[in-house]
Amino acid sequence: MNDLSEITNYLKGKKVRFADARENLFHEREILTEDTRVEHIDEQHVLGTGIKVLYENGWGYASTSAKDLDSLRKAADKALALAKHADKSASGKVELASEPKHVAKFVTKIKEDPLGVDIGDAVGVLIQAGETILKGKDVIKARGYLVLRNIKKKYANTEGSLIETNIYTVMPEIMAIARANGEVKSRHYRPSPMNAGYEYFRGLDLQPEAGRIAAQAREHCFAKACETGPATLILDPEHLSLTMHESVGHPTELDRVLGYEESCAGRSFATMDKLHKFKYGSEIVNLIADNTLEGGLASCGYDDEGVECQKWHIVKDGVLCGYGVNRELAHKMNLARANGTTKAANYFDVPITRIPNLYLAPGKKPLSFGELIADTENGIYIEGQGSFSIDQMRLNMQFGGDAFWEIKNGKLAGMLKNVTYNATSYEFWRACDAIADERFFKRSGTIICGKGDPMQLAQMTHGASPARFRNIMVRRSK
Amino acid sequence: MNKTDLIIEKVLKEPVTDHVVLSCSRAEAHSIRFSNNSVNRENLHKVEEEVKAEVGYEGRTGVYKTNDLSEDGIKHAVKKAYEAAKLLPKDPEYMPPVTREEAGAAKNFSPAFGEVSDERKYGILQAAFSEIKKAGLNSAGILSTNPYTVRVCNNKGVRASHSNCYSSFWLTAMTGNSSFKDFHITRDFSDYDEKTFVADIIAKTRLSKDPAPLDPGKYTVVLSPAAVEELLMKFLWYNIDAKAIDEGRSALSKRQGEKIAHESVHIYSRPDHEKVSLFPFSPADAMPYIDFDMIKDGKLASAWYSRFYAAKKGVRATGRGPGSVIFKGTDKPLDKLIANVENGLYVNSFWYVQLVDLMDGVFTGMTRDGLFRIKNGKLAGSANNFRFNQSVFDLLKNTAEIGREKNMTYTSIPPITVRDFNFVSKTEF
Repeated sequence: MNDLSEITNYLKGKKVRFADARENLFHEREILTEDTRVEHIDEQHVLGTGIKVLYENGWGYASTSAKDLDSLRKAADKALALAKHADKSASGKVELASEPKHVAKFVTKIKEDPLGVDIGDAVGVLIQAGETILKGKDVIKARGYLVLRNIKKKYANTEGSLIETNIYTVMPEIMAIARANGEVKSRHYRPSPMNAGYEYFRGLDLQPEAGRIAAQAREHCFAKACETGPATLILDPEHLSLTMHESVGHPTELDRVLGYEESCAGRSFATMDKLHKFKYGSEIVNLIADNTLEGGLASCGYDDEGVECQKWHIVKDGVLCGYGVNRELAHKMNLARANGTTKAANYFDVPITRIPNLYLAPGKKPLSFGELIADTENGIYIEGQGSFSIDQMRLNMQFGGDAFWEIKNGKLAGMLKNVTYNATSYEFWRACDAIADERFFKRSGTIICGKGDPMQLAQMTHGASPARFRNIMVRRSK
Repeated sequence: MNKTDLIIEKVLKEPVTDHVVLSCSRAEAHSIRFSNNSVNRENLHKVEEEVKAEVGYEGRTGVYKTNDLSEDGIKHAVKKAYEAAKLLPKDPEYMPPVTREEAGAAKNFSPAFGEVSDERKYGILQAAFSEIKKAGLNSAGILSTNPYTVRVCNNKGVRASHSNCYSSFWLTAMTGNSSFKDFHITRDFSDYDEKTFVADIIAKTRLSKDPAPLDPGKYTVVLSPAAVEELLMKFLWYNIDAKAIDEGRSALSKRQGEKIAHESVHIYSRPDHEKVSLFPFSPADAMPYIDFDMIKDGKLASAWYSRFYAAKKGVRATGRGPGSVIFKGTDKPLDKLIANVENGLYVNSFWYVQLVDLMDGVFTGMTRDGLFRIKNGKLAGSANNFRFNQSVFDLLKNTAEIGREKNMTYTSIPPITVRDFNFVSKTEF
């Protein structure tokens, strides 16, 4: 920490308006199995320091993997030189929202370090799952995937904050591919990725799930093709996590809204003039951002601007009421404070606004998943994630899924295939007329959310109870 | 030899097993991102250096990457890779390190490029901002330079090295209700024509203003090289692996020997194509990339073969991804293709292209940053963006005309005219 403070003090002496230094260790083990062999293992240990400078109204960022003070000073000088160049094209005054000085530590609560466990243990579990999958009739391929991650950061800024964070993440997945009846279909089991220790992976029983997905992959090959036309959809929590990520999470990143992502990820329809007015969804739709959620993938105590993680509403009772906001843009919303969701993936990446942990609040009235199905005369029940695509303003969206069932007279009546649905984001959320209660709430999420240019990845949890959407355009994919 | 090379030689002199590969890379990037006609906070300089240690042990392979390039750091990476390998089950697809004979077949090349000063880079941007502002438009994009070196060494005597650079300037200009994007791919901006590049973008952006709300349906389209690349590369990535084809997991599994494209479509790889190739060999193991045809005379010519699968099938390895992808063009400029369309659309780029149906090669995505109506062979204003659900097989079969290739990062692809392109829904802008 002393070296980081030394650097921020050094930059203070160069008359910068603000600077921070972040030492960032990214340690990750990735295991991919194919059938009963290891297709690929990849372990990386990447350590370095990134330095961000605001000079007048220009930003500069430079990084180094060297640890000595001279190299850190050189990186600081480079960041300052870039900031001076940027200042020449500045179009307005940069105003940083204030943030209390923090001297703090945050550590994911774990019992067993995921990267301290022999690689053979996880490989054995994935290969055993592969053996079970391959016993399934007509199964032609089994895959297992596990990511174990540890990110350690030390952060110092010119305002005196000194923060250390230590985050552990576990992300497992297995998949079956079956070929039958002239079709090839896959089926996944994706337990929620978690900020957790290896005990989370140990606690999963993949065997019954392996058998189930093998059988469902085959069943999918014999499924009836769906009909094209408006339909009622019931979507499971894993599926909804992707829908909310794309149609709520990204459009409510304020940097996107204000054009900072225009050239790559795009902009947003959810413009600031709609704040507190726009009907984003039906009245039962509450979408909550919460970077304090225990075990949440985006829960890290403090973000990479030194801002404490927080909880806030993005959509309340159906109305747009919040964004993910960094320190530079908070004043555009007359906010006194950013909300702690600005992150960088690696030491050489500039921190940018990222989707927080975001979930659909469960229904307030008692409603089970079974009751939700029974209350639906005809429709389609979708589980898991498949094809997904949305335009650069986050309006026209099209989603598939991992598995589909027909709902007939209030009962699940066999699998369907080739299902995609297409809607405008806000029309989709306005069509939500029922959400199962909190007993049926499940987490999901992603560790590969891409944004920025150069592209960097981030992780965040999503969650939901199964929910129903009326009159959504379903299109047979072939 | 630099310090890292000396350490690598030292480590390889006493290899921990008979299979040690050390791949070393150094990539220096200066990326200047901008939005709202000014440089924004993603204004960064970075140097990424990394050593990847691959160690084989009795038919198993462990891998460990580190950016600690000290002797202790590299030795630690080798040790971790070795320990990992020992814990793995025997791999039926294990391959020993590449030999000198294998690596010697690489067609190495030495592209010439100069250093681009910070003054030059920010100068290009300032000039563009000035023109864009004068035109009453907004802009966003990125200018970046990326020189890099890769070096792959193993205990079988392979020493493969390649230095290169790719640089680019991506510029999106916007009116209040439309946008247009273009890019200049280069090594060092010595070939950058400031006036033409920005002026053309301004003209097209003005033309994109006030898009007309057309109905979705099947249209004759002229696709820009970037649009073709988006679809084609996704299609190849999902479908052209030889093992997946043989195992029935590819759209090409049931189409081997069948017509999958118009006879004029010729897609191939030339790893020594100096304008677009990034490496003459695989940066993972120094296996040379080779010349080969992927689609020729309307049929699949050759799939992509990993070293293991090529050895099993008795064919040459192409790598799991070739050195470059080239779609053979003609001498017809884009304007000529547009001139030959009476009524249709020009698609400048696609966005969020995703697989919908693997076995039929159906992809979805949106048009973005320039969808123009073509009337009587001329661009006649813009249209609201569409979503497509399109089979790439149908696209390749319905290719009516092919234009002049444009060099991009890793590909060289022409614009093409396609009949009956399937737009299924529209959006609000």
